[in-house]
Amino acid sequence: MKSVQEKAWSFPGHPEKEIERNEFTVAKGEDVIGRLAVIRLEKGDTLPDIARHFGLGINAISTANPGVDIWVPEAGESIMLPLSFILPDAPRKGIVVNLATMRLFQYKEDDKSLVVSTYPVGVGTKERPTPRGQMRVARKATRPTWHVPASIAEDHRKKGDPLPAEVPPGPQNPLGEYALYLSKSGYLIHGTNKPASIGLKATNGCMRLYPENVKKLYNDTPVNTPVVIVNQPYLIGQRDGVLYMEAHTPLEGSGTVEQEKVYAKLRNIEDKSARTLDWKKVKEVQTEARGIPVPIFEIRQGSEKEVPKPIKVEHPDKLYGKPEIPELRLDAWYVLAADVREEIDALRIAAIINHQGPQIPARVLSRNKGYRVIAGPFNDISEAKDAAKRLKIDLDIDGILIEPVQKG
Amino acid sequence: MKRSLLLISMMLVLPVTLIGCATSGDLEKVQAEQKLIDAKAEQALQDAQAAKAAADAAKLRADETSARAEDAIKAAEERERIADEKAQKADAAFQRSMRK
Repeated sequence: MKSVQEKAWSFPGHPEKEIERNEFTVAKGEDVIGRLAVIRLEKGDTLPDIARHFGLGINAISTANPGVDIWVPEAGESIMLPLSFILPDAPRKGIVVNLATMRLFQYKEDDKSLVVSTYPVGVGTKERPTPRGQMRVARKATRPTWHVPASIAEDHRKKGDPLPAEVPPGPQNPLGEYALYLSKSGYLIHGTNKPASIGLKATNGCMRLYPENVKKLYNDTPVNTPVVIVNQPYLIGQRDGVLYMEAHTPLEGSGTVEQEKVYAKLRNIEDKSARTLDWKKVKEVQTEARGIPVPIFEIRQGSEKEVPKPIKVEHPDKLYGKPEIPELRLDAWYVLAADVREEIDALRIAAIINHQGPQIPARVLSRNKGYRVIAGPFNDISEAKDAAKRLKIDLDIDGILIEPVQKG
Repeated sequence: MKRSLLLISMMLVLPVTLIGCATSGDLEKVQAEQKLIDAKAEQALQDAQAAKAAADAAKLRADETSARAEDAIKAAEERERIADEKAQKADAAFQRSMRK
């Protein structure tokens, strides 16, 4: 049985134009969905942009590609798109969220088949984790108002960025355009004004989705839909007679318990098949924790040819949701965000600024002995000052205001 | 008695004469050989000294090269460490900025 986890990702043949990223049919008795894919990066790509285009979180793409620079990857480099998932060990109905993999699964069943839509999510931080357990969608809202919780208001006040008691719909609203309010009070599944945060532990316990994903989820989810939130860093499941294991870095403090659970399941499979499992391989998958389903055992012997290889995907002309940078204008205000010697440092800073939510446009200008990161253009001094304030509060960057060359 | 004495004297003188002749002839030969050997020794010594000097010089160069290579590796590692540190710092700041 050949592994699909080998590092040399160069595949002959023409790349595919499209690959399924969100919606999959679940065959009866199967637990693994989707296909792994590879894509060749182009100049100016960042992993968060590739991740968003292919419906992945930043966590998934970076752990599948260890050693690849998130913000300034090398053009021409081939990277893995981990678009294959093992379904969580939970009832296949309604919504299931796996916190460890930071992925939401929404099941829809008709007479003939079971279909699952899956989206990456951002989840709660270590300090304010997303609660686990069974709940349901209590109500739904478009263009929700954000009622700022006292704890967050206090955090912002300490940072010197006081928030109003309510944030109305719009670009400053972190809930985005759609919200599903859960029966567990204070917790929501919602959109975001920070799409680059999907796949991060960055929320106060809510689960946030890319704007394009939450719109679909909102439309497909009736009120009272059951929601189950689990924490399963080690997943096992089968497809075409082959047993796969998918390992993720466990959330703080849950590693040992979850390992025991999955080992018990594996020992059970071993007993039933009356054959020995390759435990060395199991440990290897677990240690690497690449978040990719890896074949570990042939349940039906002779299944070698059925392990699918990753497919090569064509780089799209335009990556969905990639921040756009407006043209330079002589009548605009700018903020000098950084003045550095190495180009890679400048590119990284510019990329991070561009991926703020809402976006702060930023570009790199080269000069004789270094590189400058310029944020803007801004229409007036007030916009430029706001951007400088956000750079300071959010990224600890001391920006310098640059006046317009020509008065508009 | 006289004849006996003469015979004894002849027996003593003859070998001495013979020995004297052999020593002077060989001495020249030996001296010539010694010179040759000495010259060879001198050459060998010079060769050995030259070889040692060359070896020492090569070792010195190798040591210097090795030291330079080590310095270069250390400098590269330091650059890499600084770059990693910068990247990690930038990423940590980014992750913080993604909170509400």
